[in-house]
Amino acid sequence: MRNRLKVLRAERDWSQQDLADQLQVSRQSVNAIETGKYDPSLPLAFRIADLFAMAIEDIFLRD
Amino acid sequence: MAHPIVTPRADMAGRQPGLWAAAFALAMAAIAFAEYRGLLGGWRSLPFVAVAALLLIPMTRAANNRQAAAGALSPATRRYNRRMLIWSLGYVLCLGMAMTIKNYFDPQGPLLWGIAVLPSVPMVYFVWTLARYIVEEDDEYLRYRQTSAALVGLALVLLAGTLWGFMETFGVVPHVPAWWVVPVWAIGLGLGQAIMAAAERRTDRA
Repeated sequence: MRNRLKVLRAERDWSQQDLADQLQVSRQSVNAIETGKYDPSLPLAFRIADLFAMAIEDIFLRD
Repeated sequence: MAHPIVTPRADMAGRQPGLWAAAFALAMAAIAFAEYRGLLGGWRSLPFVAVAALLLIPMTRAANNRQAAAGALSPATRRYNRRMLIWSLGYVLCLGMAMTIKNYFDPQGPLLWGIAVLPSVPMVYFVWTLARYIVEEDDEYLRYRQTSAALVGLALVLLAGTLWGFMETFGVVPHVPAWWVVPVWAIGLGLGQAIMAAAERRTDRA
């Protein structure tokens, strides 16, 4: 699944580690989600959406 | 869902667990060679085996450091690594005890059964450690990563076991003891982890 995580992170000038710290996950988790290698569970997707104050479908896009 | 971030720690162990694992394997091979040449054997080998087993401690530290540097060390991973170290030391201890008793006391009956079972006892802890990691890991991606690597290990055990078993049945290869399943599974686990770590390094560089 494609996502806008990298762009959203860059807009806020956050590193992968910054985002990982805020989501309380490992940096590799952020990397794997960002590069589309791993699709997050619904609870984690909601945490990501809450952090960016956006809807899930505005972050994660259908292929 | 608390997930304290673990930062890399630079110490003597470094970040190359493979080097410590190779040093351990080399030390064990040297001990086996010395036994073959008659320089060591029986109880005389035990102190050397014990010292070689100590190499597993910096190996575990190096594994922690490497995983932290790669942004893949969680508290559950740290506990998993520590438990695997305890299992490794326990396995060396139990196997050493069983072999020593077997070689020096020529046990029979229940004692023979006891020492025959002894090296397998730490495997209960090993299996428990695998299960606990899956339960304790809060980070879903790391849990997925470890589960996938374990499945690679399982695939290797099934393939190698079936292939060797039939070749043995048809008499074209010698008999291999069943305890080889653990090293084969561990090789598969390591292979799976290495493949995923390489993929992560590629995306890190991109």
